[in-house]
Amino acid sequence: MGSGIWSTDVYDAADRYRRSTGKSAFSYSDSGARTVHPALDPREATRESRDSDEHPRSTPVAVLFDVTGSMLKVPRVLQTKLPQLLGLLQRQGYASDPQIMFGAIGDATCDRVPLQVGQFESDNRMDDDLGRIVLEGGGGGQMTESYELAMYFMARHTATDNWDKRGRRGYLFIIGDELAYPTVKAREAAGVIGDNLTEDVPLRHIVDEVTSRWDTYYLLPAGSHYAGNAKVLDFWRDLLGQNAVVLDDLDAVCETIALTIGLGEQAIDLDEGLRHLDRAGSTATGTVSKALARLNRGRRAEVSTLPAFRDTTGGVTRL
Amino acid sequence: MRHVAVVDLGYGDAGKGTVVDWLCATRPVHTVVRFNGGAQAAHNVVLRDGRHHTFAQFGAGTFHPGVRTHLSRHVVVDPLALAAEADHLATVGVPDALDRLTVDGSALLATPYHRAANRAREIARGADRHGSCGLGVGEAVAYGLAHPDDAPRVADCRSPALLRRRLTVLRDRLTAELGPLDAPPVEDCLPAFTGFAGRVAIVDGSWLAGALRSGTCVFEGAQGVLLDEWHGFHPYTTWSTTTFTNVDGLLAEAGLPGEVARLGVLRIVTTRHGAGPLVTEDQALPFTDRHNATNPWQGRFRFGHFDAVAHRYALAAAGGVDGLALTHLDLAGPGLRICRRYDTTDRITPGPPGDLDRQAALTARLLRSRPVYDDPPSDWPEAVRAELGAPVVLTSHGPTAGDKTPHGPLLAAPALARSV
Repeated sequence: MGSGIWSTDVYDAADRYRRSTGKSAFSYSDSGARTVHPALDPREATRESRDSDEHPRSTPVAVLFDVTGSMLKVPRVLQTKLPQLLGLLQRQGYASDPQIMFGAIGDATCDRVPLQVGQFESDNRMDDDLGRIVLEGGGGGQMTESYELAMYFMARHTATDNWDKRGRRGYLFIIGDELAYPTVKAREAAGVIGDNLTEDVPLRHIVDEVTSRWDTYYLLPAGSHYAGNAKVLDFWRDLLGQNAVVLDDLDAVCETIALTIGLGEQAIDLDEGLRHLDRAGSTATGTVSKALARLNRGRRAEVSTLPAFRDTTGGVTRL
Repeated sequence: MRHVAVVDLGYGDAGKGTVVDWLCATRPVHTVVRFNGGAQAAHNVVLRDGRHHTFAQFGAGTFHPGVRTHLSRHVVVDPLALAAEADHLATVGVPDALDRLTVDGSALLATPYHRAANRAREIARGADRHGSCGLGVGEAVAYGLAHPDDAPRVADCRSPALLRRRLTVLRDRLTAELGPLDAPPVEDCLPAFTGFAGRVAIVDGSWLAGALRSGTCVFEGAQGVLLDEWHGFHPYTTWSTTTFTNVDGLLAEAGLPGEVARLGVLRIVTTRHGAGPLVTEDQALPFTDRHNATNPWQGRFRFGHFDAVAHRYALAAAGGVDGLALTHLDLAGPGLRICRRYDTTDRITPGPPGDLDRQAALTARLLRSRPVYDDPPSDWPEAVRAELGAPVVLTSHGPTAGDKTPHGPLLAAPALARSV
């Protein structure tokens, strides 16, 4: 005779059914909200990814996506896909104790909600953050969004045990289709985040800062307005090199992110990761293979300023 | 079309889940039909890539895309545990489990009140616990028998006013009998049950008849025949019919009597989780079971040598099988013996269903019996075939579908089936 191992908590069950109907998709935005939800407000905030007894070796993963009009239906597709990311990472053991944070990027020159950042979560509370994101849907038509402000936040307003204790970088994925502004403007940093900068911070400077602590990728998906635009891809290749990735099927976004992390953690090589996807019945292997072929050729070198923590198992817990 | 029914000829935990998973991996299966028990089932399935899920209410074939689960009217449905189980399935790569589920509207509901009453009773029994799981399944069955017109059923979740009334009456009756129950107010329960009705397809009895004509179905039993409500060793039984009786009834109602291959599952180590007779129990056996931890309701997981006497009894009580699935052959070794007779008898025979005095007397006799052992067989499948008089049609050496080997035509995969 077995035993019941699934929760029978009545409040929890009501919540699970509500969530599983999918009605929560952007419910905050769809209900007419046009100001940042308090849970996602970057003003005077720090987002932390910390170890715990339950998650002793946390691996932080941040996914920030462009929510302006040029992205068309992309944010809504992402919202249906991204909740699967944690499961993908956990079941293949690509990263130890993944903690995922979602956020949204707009345009600080004209948007009401230019930056929204959730908290790092290791359970489906991150889905709640996705539901609280405000979709701008506007955009100025100048092919530029405030990605630099988002990178500034990630560089200066995040703290992770993965870095502090182990000298390991976290993973930052920016999903978008436009250029960044050339500087982080002091006025916008004050207005949106509450920092008092004495002068603007050049884009290249903030990219160096964020990539020293975050292994940073730019994903340019199909279905967005400027997808395939050489100017956008060249711009990000210039800043991030091979970490600027073209994604020709948005449905493959979770698989792409998961395999990128698996490659980065040296838990798999690309062929092995593609085999996992294939075995799990994923239809995304073609897209992922194409997107990540460049990454696989030039494996990143781990950058560490602290005595790097290493263990013999490669830091991977296979489930 | 021939369906397959999987029943455990022991005390549960023989490996029904892994057998059902293998069936769904090796042939196109339309639906896995649950025909007894409830959320207390714990059928562990492990995939080759290491993913693991303990199936309680979803069919153990759910890892295979498209395979549906139907909870027949014989199942006690627990919508609260179901939500948590679906969430876990999503994290192991099965996001659409709820979309592939149908539930018979006339099935009984397990509620927090049944659960609280179940626990209150088990605690009151002290050292004489029955080995219940504390999930209220038996309590729900008992209430359903005593108050058939008031018992909350799955279809009631679509009518909040009716459900509120039935939950209130249930709570008041159980409270009057047992004192205050550790359970939330009725108003707080309603959103969970109505949420369930809004998300899951609730159907009537004709749905199953349609499924049975649409494709191969696998009937997945819960618990084991030695725990059967009438044939188990009273009072250490489950409040559920664990034999093929419910399967036969459902097929007959669908106009397809007998259209089923009957498969009995046995593991070469006889085990029991919870109190009650386990004649061959040997605490020196060097086994552990990672999926059956010691828990406060059933205590530790108990291991014994292969008890051919008990399994022959189960086979007779179940009315025979077409074939046996023999699992855990990887545990065979010099320390594991076979018991063909007890010191008092070499055969126990089933009585008519319903004679619980007879079953209690049998239990007392078993608790006094001592096993007589023979040397470990060199060929376990042959030894089991000889003892039980039924062919071994599937052998298993490990947890995954890839560790299974079919023997003979009964479970041969259709020509077009996917490879394992």
